[in-house]
Parts: sequence; structure tokens; C-alpha cells
Amino acid sequence: MESSERPRFERVDWSDIDTERRLVTVERSLFVLGLLVVAGLFLYDRYYAHVYLVAQWVVTPIDWAVMTGLVGLVSFGVVPALRNRAAIGQTYESIRSRPVLTGALAFLAVFGVIGTVLPILLGRPDLHFGYAYQPPVGVTVDAGWSPKCFGTIKQGQGIQRYCEGSILIPLGTNGRGQLMEAMLVAGARPAIYVVLFTAAFIVPLATAVGVAAGFRGGRLDDLLMTYVDVQLCLPAIFLYFIGYMYIGPSLLLLLVTFGLLSWGPVARLVRSEVLQRREDGYVVVARSLGGSDSYVARRHVLPNVTNTLVPAVFHLFAILILAEAGVAFLGFSDVELYSWGSTIAEGLSPDRMAAYQVWWISTVPAVALAATVVALKLAGDGLRDVLDPRGGR
Amino acid sequence: MAERPPTSENALLDVSDLRTHIDADRGTVHAVDGVSFAVDRGEAVCLVGESGSGKSVTCESLTGIVPQPPAEIVSGDVAFDGIDLRAEGADLRAVRGDRIGHVFQNPQHALDPVYSVGEQLIEAITAHGDPGGRAARERAIDLLREVGIPRANVRIDDYPHEFSGGMAQRVAIAISLAGDPDLLIADEPTTAVDVTVQARLIELLRDLLDEGMALLLITHDLRVVASLADRVLVMFGGTIVERGPIAEVFENPAHPYTQALFDSYDGFGQLPDRPSRHDLPTDGCRFRAECPHAVEACADGPQPPFHAVDGDSSHAASCVYYGEGRDATTVRDADRGVRPVGEVEDDD
Amino acid sequence: MTERPGEGSDPLLSVSDLETHYPITEGWLRREVGRVRAVDGVSFDIHAGETLGLVGESGSGKTTLAHSLLGLEEPTAGTVRFDGDRVGELSWADQRAFRRRVQLIVQDPNEAFNPRLQVGKAVAEPLALNGMDDADRRQAIVEDVLERVGLAAEDTDRYPHEFSDGEKQRLAIARALVVDPDLLVADEPTSALDARVQSDILALLDEVRREFDVSILFVSHDIDVVRRFCDRVAVMYLGEIVERGAVDAVLDRPAHPYTRVLLDSVPSLDPSDRDLPAPLTDTIPDPADPPSGCRFHTRCPSVIEPDDTDLSAETWSRLAAFRFTVQVGELPARIDLDQPPSEAVVQEAFDLPDEIADEQTAVGVDDAVTALADGDLDRAKERLAAVLPSVCEQQVPATVETDGRPVQCHRSDPDVDAEPRPWTE
Repeated sequence: MESSERPRFERVDWSDIDTERRLVTVERSLFVLGLLVVAGLFLYDRYYAHVYLVAQWVVTPIDWAVMTGLVGLVSFGVVPALRNRAAIGQTYESIRSRPVLTGALAFLAVFGVIGTVLPILLGRPDLHFGYAYQPPVGVTVDAGWSPKCFGTIKQGQGIQRYCEGSILIPLGTNGRGQLMEAMLVAGARPAIYVVLFTAAFIVPLATAVGVAAGFRGGRLDDLLMTYVDVQLCLPAIFLYFIGYMYIGPSLLLLLVTFGLLSWGPVARLVRSEVLQRREDGYVVVARSLGGSDSYVARRHVLPNVTNTLVPAVFHLFAILILAEAGVAFLGFSDVELYSWGSTIAEGLSPDRMAAYQVWWISTVPAVALAATVVALKLAGDGLRDVLDPRGGR
Repeated sequence: MAERPPTSENALLDVSDLRTHIDADRGTVHAVDGVSFAVDRGEAVCLVGESGSGKSVTCESLTGIVPQPPAEIVSGDVAFDGIDLRAEGADLRAVRGDRIGHVFQNPQHALDPVYSVGEQLIEAITAHGDPGGRAARERAIDLLREVGIPRANVRIDDYPHEFSGGMAQRVAIAISLAGDPDLLIADEPTTAVDVTVQARLIELLRDLLDEGMALLLITHDLRVVASLADRVLVMFGGTIVERGPIAEVFENPAHPYTQALFDSYDGFGQLPDRPSRHDLPTDGCRFRAECPHAVEACADGPQPPFHAVDGDSSHAASCVYYGEGRDATTVRDADRGVRPVGEVEDDD
Repeated sequence: MTERPGEGSDPLLSVSDLETHYPITEGWLRREVGRVRAVDGVSFDIHAGETLGLVGESGSGKTTLAHSLLGLEEPTAGTVRFDGDRVGELSWADQRAFRRRVQLIVQDPNEAFNPRLQVGKAVAEPLALNGMDDADRRQAIVEDVLERVGLAAEDTDRYPHEFSDGEKQRLAIARALVVDPDLLVADEPTSALDARVQSDILALLDEVRREFDVSILFVSHDIDVVRRFCDRVAVMYLGEIVERGAVDAVLDRPAHPYTRVLLDSVPSLDPSDRDLPAPLTDTIPDPADPPSGCRFHTRCPSVIEPDDTDLSAETWSRLAAFRFTVQVGELPARIDLDQPPSEAVVQEAFDLPDEIADEQTAVGVDDAVTALADGDLDRAKERLAAVLPSVCEQQVPATVETDGRPVQCHRSDPDVDAEPRPWTE
């Protein structure tokens, strides 16, 4: 050991070091700033703007909830992740080496952007009753279904005429002449809102409860887990219908009821992981250094439980998207949301023809829904592999 | 091919030039690199080495329980009571458990937590053709008694977690005895338990030896070796570097690595340099990078040949200094080793 | 136990009658039905620059004690004084300082580091948690410390799995050093290491102690390591310190029977010395229900014979083994209460003497043998307890100065009519 000069750590004057806990951090400031912006927009929308906040956007309560959630996600989720430059590079490389994961994440990114941004800009899909039931490109249907045909009209036998799909409307239109592409884009919005809301509110809630129960144990643990057990017995859809009776169709209501009742299993998962890792050497050391429970959980426990947590969270996203689609399919959601579920339902009961004859109205959103769910599951599994501490670095 | 020690006709286990390679991230590791030794009937042989010396992989390779892949038993012969364990189609599963028993370090890992110890014992008993039913249960209770579990008839229905560490290890030993094996291979059986419990387990192993069972014991603890072994094999870097009867090896450790091992039980000396992170060589003397007496000749050949220490062919070291024309006194150190107080019991 | 040997200066750490009990609860309302007395009245001091070994087996409470000192467990009674101040009553800022000045090294080097953090960040963690915000400054300190423990400054970017066990333990020591502590609590720092690496780490710890003037509380189950490394040692059994003092005194001339049992149980390096004396029984009592009087009495080879009988040491030794083995239920393999053995078998199994001088004792022992032959364990226990009482089970031994150090054993107590037994290594 080089003992020529005093080691650096002995030269530290600890009475000088400011040991006050820092209240102001980058994340917290960003969060407060973001909240102020949202609050400002809210007031503007309430008292100043008339119908649209900006472009074609009518802001509903779910939008405010999601905006707030987004602020939280960005300040406490995205920003700290970006600051860890070393891990970023490695994670990026890991992702790039897995084509399936890259594909799934790219799909979700596109889906996310489309769902959040485009509906704001484009507003409600335009109605063109004149062009109802237009077929997709390459498909030919009876021209009598709609007053006009956007594509070419073909002559059949006798007075039979066919309308052929046009490349300009590649996916066709629905019963009100709304473009299927537009319906896809519009339907992406409730789906992405489900993901954002869950990620911003449900997952942190579940994690916090799991950490508290796991670390503190004792009565708090008993109380919380008993509550979770009771909660698991309540069917979410039942509660939603009750709320529906009073409030009417509302995505926020749906997310609140389904979300509130679905955090239980994730909380249990987190709790079980915390219990297992509490006595690991580095956790004990961190606690002995005076780290608070939340610090130790954030820095040492949670990053090491990604193997179970990440797939579980993505699974939750998938389930809730399907739940939302299901409720919409049954007709209990806000029509203005244009959820994929309601579009699927529409396609199954068209006005004048058999459902299979206008198959694209149900199929297109169904494919989108399926693709989204698959992408979420693949992303969950792939990210778990990427984040696995034992995976090859 | 590494030199083979002279084998007596009594040899129960005869290992010749065993090599096992493991496919790891950083390349192929020569975990067992030319190991030869024999175990006689009723004899206690201890395989001593640090982690990474290859002692565990050696023993797992004997009965083929080492996972292949990523490991691969590349070459060598293993003969057990005349049976060639390395032959194509050799019935290793018949030998495992029935003729050769295995005990591992952590009993809670070896025991299945969802079955009672009785169920696990009976499974071991009936695995080799013994009839089940009452007879098997009786035998299970007998086995538990033999290893010293009190109230065996009651505890047979308990689950592994209901046993303390030492008791669980006794249960594991009982299971390994179910097939009435001739040889017990025990890999660090006392490392995970308290010292008073270790003492009792050592006594149990001695009782089993007295009944004629052979023991191949792997350990890193020289004190456990001293308390049990008839013969010692010292391993380093996948090779055996020294072998011989226990009294001689302990009184007169010949190989520089063995000497370094004994040194570490005696105070702790100077602050060492930065630990080196080199990979061990795969030829010559594996210890040469750390040996204070290393010379060029140490790098020759697959391994320095074994030379008798002090004219006694059974105590030999794989070190060039003991060969012809070299001065062993450079390496020999009269002050090392242990001064025995009495005679070591010689079990026939 | 309030014995506190005075040394020249005030002790750095002074523990007085420390207790850490865990309640055993039942039911939803968590009704307390018992207590695990993990640490049950422990006192000792550590002075600046000295190493104190804490030796004990599993169940002794040594890890709980170490954790209680660090604030990881809440003591239920007693005081801990650090540098004169009571730890339980420190202001928030002083508590912060205390946490900085006392550092922990955990047992398993494989679990000591978060697998996701680069070791540079892990080693810097105490600095960050104590308020050093300047990342460059932290990095400089970390690089300096790594060099001093025998690693390289470039290692800061690596991950824990890239290091060997011995190197990880060096990293753990580095992490403990970065905040310039006064006391290191090392919980089995060498137990998971090979012999040569153990030696290296002990050398490093010794160097650290001398260079940086750090005291070390060295918790270990390995009495040999403690002998080599520590200045003083305290031996723990079931939550109590039974003997403490200078290492040479305690380990060469052990006064307490448990210390002797521990020393006897460690196999000798001499292959011709294979004797492993055993305690009376093997079962370690439940910390929630420790034996009455002296906690070690159920296993003590030196347990004191009853007052009024006149038994030879040999006879008493066998009878004591009989009594406590039966009491604990640890019957030898041959005795199966469902198919009760004959009395002759019982006699033989416990190696009971044929003739017992004292009439009453002989009758009692015979009764017990008969009871066992009838399969009646409880009656056997009763009879033996009645005719073979011992002061060791009736009274808690006082802590007495023996050979210049505190020992908690009746045989060392001049007020008790029993002599310390001689001991040869």
C-alpha cells in the first residue's frame, strides 16, 4: 500500500460537507414545472379557449389525467434513465442485437406517437356518408351499398355493378364513410392512454405498496396484503358498470376502476421480490449507510427485480388494453373515443349487409389490437432479457 | 499423459489421466487437466484445493454427473471395481447411488423441500431394485438411526426445512448410503455447518470408514483433511501437484503450493501485491506464475513429472526440484508443516 | 453483566447490557406469544485501534449484535455509546456522523455488491449518501482507495462479476474506507474465502487498521482466524457473552466450558491428534426458550454435580450426559420409544455405571431407566431432574474476574462450591 502521502479519503473534512438532504433535484424541479404547465393549460382551456385547446383537440378529463401522468413519467422515469449514460449505451446495444425486440419497440413507439399526437392534430375522423363501406384496395364489393364509389366502378351482369377498392383508400371506409386509417389512428389513442395511465399511476402505486409492505413488514404488511386480497375479489367490470350508470361512458372511469383493481398482483410480486432481497449483502450495506427505504428500493432492489417485474408490467398493459377494447366492444365506452373495440363491434353489425361482406371494418382494428398486444408481450420479454443482470454484457 | 501412481490390487476406484473441459464465456477452461489417482477399499482419500482447482469437477466427472454441456469429459479412464465408467453405454446410473454415493456441501440444496425425508430416502432405497412398502420404510428408519438422527421413527416424516443444518447433512448422508455404496464421494460436506456440528459429522464419517466404506473427500480445509484422511491429493489448476500419506505430506509439505497453503494457516504475513488476474497456464506447472522458485524448466511438458520426496515413492510432488540433478533443499523447508504429536492410526 | 475493564483512554465503543429481542406473534393482531432473545444482555468495549473478535456459532446472536450496533436492528434494551455519546439519543446530524464513522463489511463477497452497478459507483455510495455531491471528487477518492487496497483505478468501470471473491472483498473494504471510519464491523469477512485469499484479506485488514487507525469488530465462527488476527475476543453463546479478554488468555487458557468445547471441536492440523471431545448433547437450545440458569448447562462437560451426593467425576459425567440427553429428547439411535428397549440396552446405550455410590441417586437413575424401558420419556425426565439437580440450572452464573478477565461460569465463581476444571489443549 502506498503510504507516502495521506490518502484522499482521510483529507475530507466531513463537517464541511453539507449533509442536508437535497430538496431540489433535477427530477423534482422538472416535475413541478411540468405540473405548472399542465395546470396552466387547464386554466387556459377552462376559462379562455372555447372548444378546442389547440388544433382539433377537445380536452377531456382523461386527457388531463394522462398529461399529468406523462409529466410524472418523464421527470421521474425518463430523465434519470437518460442521465445514466453508461447504462444507456449498453442497453441500446443489447436492444439492437435483438431484432424481434427492436421491431416490437419500434412498433410501440410508432403506435405511441400516432396515438398521442395525431388525434390532437387531426381531430375526429371525418364523416363521408357518401362513401360508406368503401372496400380496401384490391377488394371488390357491391356498388349498391353506398351512394358513391371512390374507386372504379365495374360493370357486372345486368344491373349489377361493383365498386373496386382504390389505392387512395387502402384500408377502405366504415359505415359512416370514415377512413379505416383514420379509425386506426383514432383508436390508437385510448389504447396508448391505457398504457400511459397504467405506467404513470398504477405501476408506481403497486410498486410503492409492494416496497412498503416488503420493507416494513409487520402490521402494515398484513394490512396492505389483506386489502389486496379483498380487492382481488371485486370484479372490475362490475364496478365500472356501476360507475357508468352515474357518470356515463368515460375512459377515465374505466382506467380508474380497472387500474385500481389490477395493481394487486404487481404489488404482491414486488413485495415478494423485496422480501427475498432484503437480506442481500449490498442491501444491508446500503441500509447500514443510512439509506432510506425508498432510496434502497429504488437503487438496489427494483433494478434487480426486473426479471419478474418488467414482463408483469407489460402483461398488465396488454390486459388492460384488451379490457378497454372489450368494454368498448360491448358498447359501454365513449363513442367519441373511436376505440378499436367499438370499431370491431361496428363491423359485426352493419346496416344492410352481412358482417363478412364488410369484413375489413372488424378485421383492420382487430389486427391492430392483436399486433399491439403481441408487441407489448414481446417487448416485455425482450426488455427482461436486456435488463437481466446475468445476461451477457 | 500424467504419471500414474502405483495402484494396489485393492484399488476400488482407479482414475487415469482424466481431463474435463468447460465451455465458459472467456473460452474453454481446462478444469480437470490430467488427473490420476486411486482409492482403495476402506480408504479415506482427501482431495484438497482452492475454488477453481478443479476438485469438484473431478469428482463430478467420475460418475458423469457434471453437466455436459457446458462441460465435456474429454479423455481419461475411470474404473470402478473393474467397471469402465467411461465406456460407451456404461450404465452410470446403476453405479451412482448404488455403488458410489454422493454428498454435497449444502444439504438444503440436495434435499427436495416438498417431500418428506422419508419419501426421499425410500425413493433412494427403491431406486436400485429394493422392494418398497414396509421393508423400505424400516430400512429408511435404520439409515436415519445409523447417521445419528434422534427419534428417527418420528423424524422420518419431517420435511427438510425442519432439520437444522447439521441434521440435514446427516439426512443427505443417509440418502447417499441407501444403496449401500462402497465409495462415498463427499464434496465439502462440513463447510456450511458450525464447528461443533462439523466435529460430529467427522465422527460419523469415521464410523462409516470403520465399517469398510471408502471415502473420497473434497475440501479446502486442511484441518478437516488432518482429521479424516489416510492419503492426501493436493490439486491446483486442474492438476494434482502433490500426493502421499497424510502424515508425510503434513509433516513435510513438498510442493511450493502445498507449502503456501500451510503458510496461510499460520498468521498472515506481509500485505501481498495486487492480486494477479492472469489465466492459469494449461501446460507445465500451473503454479509457476506465483511460485517464488520458478525456473524455465517449470514450463516444460504437460506437467512436471512426479518425483518421490525423500526416497519414499508414495509421497511424491509434481515439481522439477525433486527430480534428478536438482537441489530440493531450495524448495524444502524444515520449518514448515506440522510436528505430529503421536502416531497416525493406520486403518487397514 | 456490567463488567467494563478500564483501559487508559475512554473506549471508542461501549456496549452496556444490550438486548435485542424479537417478538413471536400469533394471529392477525400480532399477539406476542414469546420472544426470541437473540442478544440478551451483552456488554463490552472497543478501544481505538484495537481489534475485538466476536466468536460464536449459529444461534449465538453475533450477527444480530453486529446489526444492532449499526442501527440495522432496534435494540430492545441497553445502551450503546460511541465516543461517549449514547447512540440512541443522537441528533439527526450526529446520527449521520455516527453512520459514517462505523462501517459494515458483510459476509458473502458475492452478495456484497449490486450486480447492476459499476463498482466505482458502489464504492462511492457511502460518499454520496453522506452528502458529497461532487462526482469528480468522489471519483478521485474512489480511485485512490482502490489503489491502496491492491486494485487498480481503472477498475471503477467494471462490474462485480468481473472480480474474484478475494478482489470483491477488497472492494468491500475499500467501500468501508472511503468515508474515513473509526470502526469497522466485519461480519465473517473471510469465511467464504479460500485459505490463501483469507490470509491476504487478513493482511489487508491489518494494514488498514494500522495505517488508518481503525478499530475492528471481527465477527466470526472461526476461532483460528480470530486467534491470528484479533487483540481481544468475546465468546458468545445463545445471546450472552460467556467469556472475554485478551486473545492469548482466552484461547490458550479458556475458562468457560463453552470456549473449551469450541476449541476442542476445531480439528487439529496434526493428523496424529484426532480427538474431538464432544459436549454433553448436540442440540443447540431454542433462543426463544433458553435453558434456565446457565444457558450452557445442557451441553456443558463441566456441569456441576449436585451438592449432597458423593459421585466420582467419571460417574457424574455419565449421569449428566444421561440426564440432559433425555431432557432434550436426543435419544441415541438404538432407543426407540415405540418399541421400548430392555433396561439392559438402555444401560448400555447411555454407558451408565453399574454401581452408583449414592443410594438416592441410584434409585432415581434406575427409575428413569425403567421409565425409558416402558417408553415413558416424561417420567424419565422427571426422575432424573429430581435426583440430579445442579446449581448450573438453578442459578444464572455471576460474571467474575478470572485470570484478569470476565467469565460467566459458576466454577469460576469463588462463592460457589466448585472448582474450575483443568484444561489441556
